[in-house]
Amino acid sequence: MSKTLVNRLSLAALALPGLMQTAQAGRAEETYNADFQYGHYEESGERMKVDIYELSAAAPIGKAFTVSLGLIRDTMSGASPMFNVRDANGQVKQQISGASIADQRDVVNVGLSYAMESVTLGLTGGVSGEDDYLSRYFGTNISWDLSKSTTLSASASYAFDDVFPTGGTFRKSKFNQQYLLGVTQVIDKNSLFQSNMTFGYNQGFLSDPYKSVFVENAVGSPIMADARPGEKFQWAWLTRYVRHFKDLNKAALHADYRFYVDDWGVVSHMAEASWHQPIADEWQIIPRFRYYTQYEADFYSAIFDGATIGQYHSSDYRLAGFGTLGGGVKLSKNFVMSGLVKDIKLQAAFDYFDRKASYQLGGNDSGGFDDYSFYMITASINMKF
Amino acid sequence: MKSLSLKIIGILTVLVSLSACTPVKPWERGHLALPQMALETDAHEAALRIHAFHSKEGSNGGYGGGGGGGGCGCN
Repeated sequence: MSKTLVNRLSLAALALPGLMQTAQAGRAEETYNADFQYGHYEESGERMKVDIYELSAAAPIGKAFTVSLGLIRDTMSGASPMFNVRDANGQVKQQISGASIADQRDVVNVGLSYAMESVTLGLTGGVSGEDDYLSRYFGTNISWDLSKSTTLSASASYAFDDVFPTGGTFRKSKFNQQYLLGVTQVIDKNSLFQSNMTFGYNQGFLSDPYKSVFVENAVGSPIMADARPGEKFQWAWLTRYVRHFKDLNKAALHADYRFYVDDWGVVSHMAEASWHQPIADEWQIIPRFRYYTQYEADFYSAIFDGATIGQYHSSDYRLAGFGTLGGGVKLSKNFVMSGLVKDIKLQAAFDYFDRKASYQLGGNDSGGFDDYSFYMITASINMKF
Repeated sequence: MKSLSLKIIGILTVLVSLSACTPVKPWERGHLALPQMALETDAHEAALRIHAFHSKEGSNGGYGGGGGGGGCGCN
């Protein structure tokens, strides 16, 4: 923020007793908010389809508290890769489950925040349940305005998960912790950036109960269960940049980059950019683009050999080396009103992504047997009272 | 005289707008206050996308609020 603007705001604030505090205080909701969001996710080749329905509301309590509630229902159906085999020509191909998978996920989230002069505290918690999975989680976060242009943030979140696979005879648990440290910095009156680091530690049953591996030259059965280490350390570093373009009808550029590494050997890069273009009458068009690439986990292989297979082994396509390239466009329209409802925002978006082994940064010669594409549609209505 | 009047109007406008708004973060002022300049312009959609990508990729994190509610993501 420019010095002159800061000075103007400071002087103006000082001019009214008690306002200085208001102008610098943390963020409390000023309105009652009610939102509905629908999402559809669909993969190519008769694979997974997910419909997402989400209702949420937030309300101020007094001048400092905000409470929020969110309800989500996901319905999932379709087929999913289980393991890989070699065909008659020696080519690797995926063995896909029948299209019989059908599950529903129900989520309840609650939140409470308390805004003080320069510090905002938050508490979150929730439960997510499926036919074969239960997750209970809570978290706490703090943001602290060090100055008019610098804010520090920190959070800690914990999840206690149980998996009890359909048709299986066991119930296993895992415990996830994630800690965040971040800084948001106003660069000048037109731009700002945020830089966050998260540290994750997962322990327990981290394998996928529905995935297997195929073992050539096996002594016993050629099909073995997916087996991953019982713990994982994760480190992610995200930097986000936002810039205002006054001469382009107040458009905004958003650019994110994330570097990730974990002790399973996965290293990834993610770059995302969007252009928020106001048109007229509170319409906005937002084209966007995303590229993601990762290197395979140490214990990943498309197919294993009985002579060399280790204690840990997985052929899960999510631990393979690959890249995903895609993007889409979002439309947004805002209605400012004077009645009970003060503001209504309608948004809709379509995005398409192509996930290919050959899009991996630096290339990948696995042949693309596990390539697929997917698209996402989202639509939402946000109301302020 | 004209420029002084404009200044006074400017200051009054700032005062009125400040008194009308409750708590603002440092980056919620001037151009930075425009909705398209928010770090997260649509938190619900962002959460949906992060969840979808997380369940199909080998990595996650950076955005905060993670560690919970991911669900199985087994498929």
